[in-house]
Amino acid sequence: MANIYDIVTSRKLSYEQKVNALAHAAEDTLDVLKISEKTHFYLDKGIICNLNEGNAPYRPRYIMPDYDKAIRNGVKFLELEPPTDFDELLTFLQILYRHVPSITTYPVFLGNLDKIIEPYITDLPDEIVEKKLRNFFIYLDRTITDSFCHANLGPEDTRAGRLILKVDQQLKQAVPNLTLKYDPDITPDDYAEQAIVTSLHVANPAICNHKLNATTYDNYGISSCYNILPIGGGSYTLTRIVLPRLAQLTDNKDEFLNTLLPDALHCMADYMSERIRFIVEKSGFFESNFLATEGFVERDRFVAMFGLVGLAEAANHFMPEGKKYGNDAEADDLAEQILKTISDFAAQYECPYCEIANHRLLLHAQVGIDTDYGITSGIRIPVGDEPQSIYDHLRHSARFHKYIPTGCSDILPFDITGKKNPAAVLDIVKGAFQLGQKYIAFYADDSDLVRITGYLVKRSEMEKWNNGKVVLQNTTQFGAPAYSSGHLADRKVRHV
Amino acid sequence: MALVRKIIAQSTVDGPGNRTAVFLQGCNIRCAYCHNPETQSLHDDEAKEMTAREVFEVIRKSVPFIRGITISGGECMLQTDFLEQLINLTKTEALTALIDSNGTIPFSQHRKLLDLCDGVMLDVKAWDKKVYQQLTQATNDAIVKDNLELLAKENKLAEVRIVCLPKSSPIQTDIENILQHIAQHTEIITSNVPVYLIRYRPYGVITKLKDQPATPDYEMQHYLQLAQSLYLNARI
Repeated sequence: MANIYDIVTSRKLSYEQKVNALAHAAEDTLDVLKISEKTHFYLDKGIICNLNEGNAPYRPRYIMPDYDKAIRNGVKFLELEPPTDFDELLTFLQILYRHVPSITTYPVFLGNLDKIIEPYITDLPDEIVEKKLRNFFIYLDRTITDSFCHANLGPEDTRAGRLILKVDQQLKQAVPNLTLKYDPDITPDDYAEQAIVTSLHVANPAICNHKLNATTYDNYGISSCYNILPIGGGSYTLTRIVLPRLAQLTDNKDEFLNTLLPDALHCMADYMSERIRFIVEKSGFFESNFLATEGFVERDRFVAMFGLVGLAEAANHFMPEGKKYGNDAEADDLAEQILKTISDFAAQYECPYCEIANHRLLLHAQVGIDTDYGITSGIRIPVGDEPQSIYDHLRHSARFHKYIPTGCSDILPFDITGKKNPAAVLDIVKGAFQLGQKYIAFYADDSDLVRITGYLVKRSEMEKWNNGKVVLQNTTQFGAPAYSSGHLADRKVRHV
Repeated sequence: MALVRKIIAQSTVDGPGNRTAVFLQGCNIRCAYCHNPETQSLHDDEAKEMTAREVFEVIRKSVPFIRGITISGGECMLQTDFLEQLINLTKTEALTALIDSNGTIPFSQHRKLLDLCDGVMLDVKAWDKKVYQQLTQATNDAIVKDNLELLAKENKLAEVRIVCLPKSSPIQTDIENILQHIAQHTEIITSNVPVYLIRYRPYGVITKLKDQPATPDYEMQHYLQLAQSLYLNARI
């Protein structure tokens, strides 16, 4: 109860943040999931981590509504008719977004926004569209106070997409996170270059390898940080294995690979299955929530994200001093062996209610949380160990990205001269994607907005939070400690 | 074989997009504003004799992150046999190859190389002969003009580069004059050839210009506006 009293009396939480924290605390008073003794051991050690998902999940973690269908059919529960003009569309979306739940309590996916908007602006001049978009984006940023929220663009060039980029660059906001689905055969260079210039001003959008990610499901979207999930579905849960903490249990590499890792993976998979069963069989979400009852999400289009974090430190743990992941062939080989073990496990474990994934768990390179110390995001190379050559860095990524279907990314800070030659940055993206790198994000080293691990936070807001002030965005509270504990200011700046 | 000063795997200032730049040792003129005078001498201990194949193997490490290479110097046109060999090799990786030249070697005498390369980035340092001679210690400025005309006509002009010395500099320049004259080549306008106005900066300079401050913004803007008014695709 001390926790609840602290929430109620906090000077650092906004009213809304208190309400959400109290709801979470209430959920955690329940004990309804069947968890084995051994799984408890791994959970208590922080080796299996449920990312604060709560003890009694009552909605899927990530929900990816089929907004096209909602716009086509209208939404009965919200008494919304299909919109007939641009104003009606924006109001429609504002209302609908307000009712899309997720782990953050805010929508994590706002749809393929350029394609949603495009047919509604045909007869409107740029100035009018920009003004309306600006107001719409300000509304989103101030009401979706959590930057684990994503709108998608591309791969086709659209007037709406270009205007969104323009408005985004002017507003410099953390919400929404934007990703351009990029395919060199579909996306024209000058559009991709506009996206890169925007990104070097406001750390947004990120660029997604459309060719590769489009093969994951029939229709994918990017949500939250960089999660690749089916539209009209989502993910029930994301639980992660914190590999360095598991590696701490032994100095014997073979014991780790052959005994500990399979055991922990099995416990984690069972635990996730139990969470999924509760959501599907007990929570009532799929019987009562309008998104499900009106068919904007389908139960059989949800997956289970099998997260992993700290591959680098886990591999390094078994290597002699000086041989490090990202710099040493032996360390990289071991890391790949670990990753392959996880991937092979996920490919044979039967997970309930995951029809779209053929009842398999899908790997996810989890970005880390604010309380991770000395643990690098997913499969990334630790800050400070980055290879001297950006080409080597991206080749390394491509090698490891191929194992991860539900999201992995690299974040590269560029020096500001990149703004002058976006074509050069695009060449690098093209090369990386050709090799199999799946998703890449940039920011300029002078930008106020920075990408923490996947989400955006303003340096100026972190400063405020660090000085004990209330801040609007939840994610500033995660970002501020992560920015310092992850030494993110020391990321290798790439010169172009 | 060529004497190679250095190879930069990732360059964004030596032509369009991301390129690997190869700098050859040795130059035949001595520009007052040269910012890498260490590449001027025809012999230097820090430069390395390399075959075209050896250079190509270094370039390959940048594939597929680059769209092409740029061969620069020094003056790379002093080693044309090597250029031909290297460019032939780069074509096996579908890379474009640009030549960065001061224009003192007539391209009309190197037809094969000209056909092989994807374009030439040509320095035009002055239009008036006296200004040219003062700036470069070279005698013949007509070859540069002939090259400009030939390259423009044959659609091989990848870029025109003009270093803009400040008006306060002790060495006279005639940037306006250059712009007026290159704008008379209609191909430069119709093909939208980029004309780079490069701000003088004292970094690396060892001549009497070494204490000369960088060209001020308003002078650069003046040149930019003039170039644009002449319908040149000018950039700073």
